Amino acid sequence: MSSAISVRHLTKDFRVGLRGLKLRAVDDVSLEIPRGQVYGLLGPNGCGKSTTLKIVLGLVSATAGEVSILGCPSATPEARRRTGFLPEAPYFHKFLTGRELVRYCARLSGVASADVAAAVDDALALAAMTEAADRAVGTYSKGMLQRIGFAQAVVHDPELVILDEPTAGVDPVGASAIGRMIHAMRAKGKTVVLCSHLLGQVEQVCDRVAIMDRGKLVLEGRVEDVLSRRDRHVLTVEAMTPAAREAAEAALAAHGAKVTSVTHPRRSLEDLFRELVTGSRDA
Amino acid sequence: MQASLQRISWISRVTFLEAVRQRFFAFLLVLGAAMALSSVSFRVLDFGHGELKFIADFGFGGMFLFGSVLAVVMTAQLFFSEMDNKTALTLLAKPLGRGEFLLGKFAGAWAVLGVFVAVLSGLLGLVLWAREQELMLLAEQTGKVPATFSAGGLAQFALLQWLRLGVVAAIVLAISALARTFLYAVVVGALAVVAGQLQWIAQDAVLKPSESPAYEAVLWLTSRLLPNLQQFNIGDALVLSAGGVEAGAVLSVVLAGVAYVVAYVFLGTLLFRRREI
Repeated sequence: MSSAISVRHLTKDFRVGLRGLKLRAVDDVSLEIPRGQVYGLLGPNGCGKSTTLKIVLGLVSATAGEVSILGCPSATPEARRRTGFLPEAPYFHKFLTGRELVRYCARLSGVASADVAAAVDDALALAAMTEAADRAVGTYSKGMLQRIGFAQAVVHDPELVILDEPTAGVDPVGASAIGRMIHAMRAKGKTVVLCSHLLGQVEQVCDRVAIMDRGKLVLEGRVEDVLSRRDRHVLTVEAMTPAAREAAEAALAAHGAKVTSVTHPRRSLEDLFRELVTGSRDA
Repeated sequence: MQASLQRISWISRVTFLEAVRQRFFAFLLVLGAAMALSSVSFRVLDFGHGELKFIADFGFGGMFLFGSVLAVVMTAQLFFSEMDNKTALTLLAKPLGRGEFLLGKFAGAWAVLGVFVAVLSGLLGLVLWAREQELMLLAEQTGKVPATFSAGGLAQFALLQWLRLGVVAAIVLAISALARTFLYAVVVGALAVVAGQLQWIAQDAVLKPSESPAYEAVLWLTSRLLPNLQQFNIGDALVLSAGGVEAGAVLSVVLAGVAYVVAYVFLGTLLFRRREI
């Protein structure tokens, strides 16, 4: 079975200024994104990740290299029919209601008229937007815009969903809701490509990550593999007394091991925030 | 094919809804309507022409002026709002061809221009009819031949104006597909309208012999690339002189207009395909 996305030796140059100076945004990037996984594409601003996604979606042409989606050349309508996309900071026609917007996108994505109503309801439910679906998009908060954007991206039940900064400007509760949507897509066997600056969220939801810097791919692999340090171990101990610590260190030393640091475990600020702000939604 | 037409239809529907909500459209519609309705009050300024001709010319002028402004500015705005707000990113990431997108934008803009022409023509027809009734009564009393107008001719003229504005909208869309900014598209679009109004000069010059082949080539190219927008201005002959237009003349203007619309939308599609979103 072919990869969800296959990128081979992708290069993209932009011409800037009157003299047409060449700016290399993507430099010989090769990636294979397997099906059925959540894949994180990370990197600082201007590293070329959004350009890579736009080339994958056929919105920008590549200077060199090949890109295919689910085995089809990426610029074809067939490839886009099986792909859903949520752009960074999405903006939609303000005068449409959420339901009208999702229906509009469903029709453009090729959903048959007989199936549109059910598909729209399912997508709205998945994005937790059913209650606000009949309000004008212009009245939505930023978090709701991201969620309705997610609904329009998945309304045609795509095999591949590409999310560009889905949690940008969204509070932790909203970001957590989007994380749940991503988990739901993975549970359905979909491939999700997530482009994000929220490293904590990427670590939580992604199976694999790739890191780009200055147009180049600098690291790629399974999250567990790239984050774990195989030469170090962490033990979490309850009710440890000084005597117990000394005994433990002596026992480890007897086997040639050495304790390098002893600290108290911390929870993340995000976990604390979510614990305190329970049940709050931005709807 | 059917799926493609459905996608074009959805793009045009949303474009139409977006356009009719614009204050700019309402503003020009009110201005045009006010001009058509107020023509009766201004007829005292007429210097010797028939009253109905004065009223009709006033209405035609409003339709031409405000219709042209609407066709240039609104069409460019509808295109650049999708680009600048990045809604085009969301739409073009779907199985929607660039040609379908552009055709949908054109159809939506042209439908709005159709509403504009229909409203103004309806009002102009109403004003002409009301004054015609008064003049007929007056003619009966004085024993003169009453002045009349042709409602069918007015309908044909409205159709030609709609087509003329369609040609302008298609030109502006083709320019927008290439332009990087809204302002550039509006300025070049407005210049194209002026050039289209003066195209007959190039057409006349082509017929005269010249010693410079380069000059002849430029004239020939200009007269082919730019539509002659003056050919749509046959309102007087259609509305005020029964049988004033030769059989087939309207049809040939319609065919020329449709050909230019198709050509410019096709050119716009070719240019838009190369554009990076």
